[in-house]
Amino acid sequence: MKIVAAKKILKANDQLANENRAAFSGRQVFCINLVGSPGSGKTTLLEALFAQWGQRCAPAVIEGDIAGQVDAQRMEQIGVPVVQINTDGMCHLDASMIAAAAQNLELTGVTMLWIENVGNLVCTAGYDLGEHLRIVALSVPEGDDKIIKYPAIFQRSDALVLTKIDLLPHLNFRTAKARADMQRLAPEARIFEVSARTGQGLPELATWLVERRAAAAPSRS
Amino acid sequence: MHEMSIVQALLEQVAEEVDQAGQRGRVVSLHLVVGRLSGVHVDAIRFGFELLSPGSIAQGAALRIDQPPARCHCDRCGAAVEIAEIVSACPVCGHADIIIRGGQELLLQSIELEDEDQAGEASSSDGWIHENRGSKEDPEGQ
Ligand SMILES: Nc1nc2c(ncn2[C@@H]2O[C@H](COP(=O)(O)OP(=O)(O)OP(=O)(O)O)[C@@H](O)[C@H]2O)c(=O)[nH]1
Ligand SMILES: [Mg+2]
Ligand SMILES: [Zn+2]
Repeated sequence: MKIVAAKKILKANDQLANENRAAFSGRQVFCINLVGSPGSGKTTLLEALFAQWGQRCAPAVIEGDIAGQVDAQRMEQIGVPVVQINTDGMCHLDASMIAAAAQNLELTGVTMLWIENVGNLVCTAGYDLGEHLRIVALSVPEGDDKIIKYPAIFQRSDALVLTKIDLLPHLNFRTAKARADMQRLAPEARIFEVSARTGQGLPELATWLVERRAAAAPSRS
Repeated sequence: MHEMSIVQALLEQVAEEVDQAGQRGRVVSLHLVVGRLSGVHVDAIRFGFELLSPGSIAQGAALRIDQPPARCHCDRCGAAVEIAEIVSACPVCGHADIIIRGGQELLLQSIELEDEDQAGEASSSDGWIHENRGSKEDPEGQ
């Protein structure tokens, strides 16, 4: 006897992710899943974006790390509400972890909820967390071959942020190649080139995010 | 290695599907679909299954894993070609104006159960006992 299931293996996660998304939308919270390699500059990018927005954005952050509180402490230092998830060795966050973490966050008044995923280009790709937008950060020192080496995560992201571009003069990173590779995999995705160090490219990214938020969750007024 | 979490989710899903179908026979085989660009390693799935399936409803089941290719669509020559791995130019005309789609499937396609009235009968060596029951499902369905 044969049972034809034809269902996604991670459908239980997907269902929970959809519930998360609906809950965030219901509270006018725009949720962004930020993925990238360890050290690609995710936390620094958040710090720079929040500084760029100042009072104009009320962010909260869920920090996902295998261990430690370092990134959460960095958010606390700049006064951003934060919950740290430690995955105890797991290489990605999943929707149930986000549901639990969100319970521990006061979301009233929050307009943007950022999830900094565990630094990993492989395992994070398959797990929808309930975000409205997925952004992949690729720091230029990592090399311009990463997009074709780890296609899944790039294929499934809404934007690529090339980070640390202040270092480009010291590297042989081909920005045009990275852009072309990304366009082949995710033709609809936006591509940004940013340096958190110099601030280059930050305003464009910040503006686009605000636009995306407005389009996804029009304010109550 | 997230294949462990995937196998865990798979085993839960198999139990749920069998339960929903009101069945209780032994699981003889599982048919999975793992796209070439899914970032999921088939060897790691098999390894995880060996490790995690004992004691579960799928203990001893054979794994049949299809790995559908991705497709490369060329803007220049119009070719739509199946590709097993990522390319940066059209395999037909060599131009770089291409878009790569698909190959990301991660599906539990079907579950083969031992029929209860055949429960005593030995299944064939590879675990396939109903090859004749026309089962040409579309592996896409995502
Ligand atoms: N030159 C330069 N360095 C940067 C930039 N952004 C981040 N860095 C440095 O890169 C290193 C890693 O940055 P993080 O922001 O901690 O990276 P992360 O992705 O959050 O790291 P994990 O959370 O550990 O995965 C730090 O030493 C940063 O100072 C940048 O725009 N330019
Ligand atoms: Mg960090
Ligand atoms: Zn062509």
